[in-house]
Amino acid sequence: MHRTMEVVLDWRLHISVLIITIICEMIGVIAIPIGIGSILLLPLLYAFVLGLVINPNVIKGAGIWIKDADVRAASPLIVIAIMPFIAKFGTIIGPSMQQIIDAGPALILQELGNLGTIVLAFPIAIIVLRMGRESIGACFSVAREPNIAIIADKYGLKSDEGTGVMGVYVIGTLFGTFIFAILASIFATTGIFSVEALAMACGIGSGSMMAACTGALASAVPTMEEQILALAGASNVLTYATGIYMGVFVALPITEKLYDWFGRKDQPLKAGE
Amino acid sequence: MNSSQTQMDPTAERKLSLAEHAMVLVIICVIGLVGNTVATENTVPQGLIGMAVLYAISMVGLLLTEMIPIKLPSVAWISLVGIIATLPWTPGSEWVIAQAKNVNFLTLATPCLAYAGIAIARREIELAKSSGWKIFIVAVLVMTGTFVGSAFVAQIFL
Repeated sequence: MHRTMEVVLDWRLHISVLIITIICEMIGVIAIPIGIGSILLLPLLYAFVLGLVINPNVIKGAGIWIKDADVRAASPLIVIAIMPFIAKFGTIIGPSMQQIIDAGPALILQELGNLGTIVLAFPIAIIVLRMGRESIGACFSVAREPNIAIIADKYGLKSDEGTGVMGVYVIGTLFGTFIFAILASIFATTGIFSVEALAMACGIGSGSMMAACTGALASAVPTMEEQILALAGASNVLTYATGIYMGVFVALPITEKLYDWFGRKDQPLKAGE
Repeated sequence: MNSSQTQMDPTAERKLSLAEHAMVLVIICVIGLVGNTVATENTVPQGLIGMAVLYAISMVGLLLTEMIPIKLPSVAWISLVGIIATLPWTPGSEWVIAQAKNVNFLTLATPCLAYAGIAIARREIELAKSSGWKIFIVAVLVMTGTFVGSAFVAQIFL
């Protein structure tokens, strides 16, 4: 495997990321007022866009600078690049442990709120959009890596269910940070939910989505930053730890049952049923 | 068309060794330090010690991922190490907290998203295009669903 040295020594890639980081941090947070509140644009969102702009798969002309090898090298770096961020979150959770224990029941039970993916998305997918079995893979979870593993294991990624989970995964990868930044900004200013509840909801089980979500929330309510980060971080760790079990034992069986009851009957069942 | 060697299955993690992780993390931390210096008022020495602390936490977390047979993602171990190092009853936790405070949390996510943007493969764009608007709507509802669902349940029990 020459992959490693390729990754470590890919100076073109690291220099690009360094420059992007400097530009984005110089711009800083921008608030765009909309009717019910404001949408916060964060440096990490610009960073993603700038990364896309120099990606030859997105903009052909970018191929002069970034080659296919650089694109391949970037992929394993995402997980490693989030590690210091995750470590930093740990150091925010630790000192707030008492507060997290106080919020314990809410914190643990809100993991069940992740079933909201089924409540909100599944009926629309089935009734309005008339989707088939791909709706099972698409709606049972927020479709991050552990959830893809569940579907891959049970149905294979080439199945309809696999198409569903990969579809949501890709859209999440491309737009997830923006969607969560927008959701957090809007809800932070409307006051339907308390800031603590929204902070817990930011623990999605994806580092970058949590970053966007907490970043927007903390920028909207700067006086509560420590608390927001502690609760979101704790919720995120819980999702990391419980997500796969929730998916296997709760979310997927429920979605399958619902599909049996309400799903389309007018298409042939897949092999391996 | 065998030219595309990129694996579409994102769960198929490429195994980097601990030493390789250690090297890559140094680069990441240097980029993080520059970002932190641009974004905050903190001086380079302050940020440097802060980043070094986060680096150490990440490495211990990676070590645990390799050594402990319980199947948890490395990020879960890293958070656990970060938490334990800063618990009020851990000796020296105040020092760790003080150093980590000099690094801005949001800045640390910026390089990660830059890599993520550069890493988008042609297949992912094609898949997004071919799955079309239906999957886009479902994905937005899925994300809204998990967010509102969790906030709703939390609100009841707070």
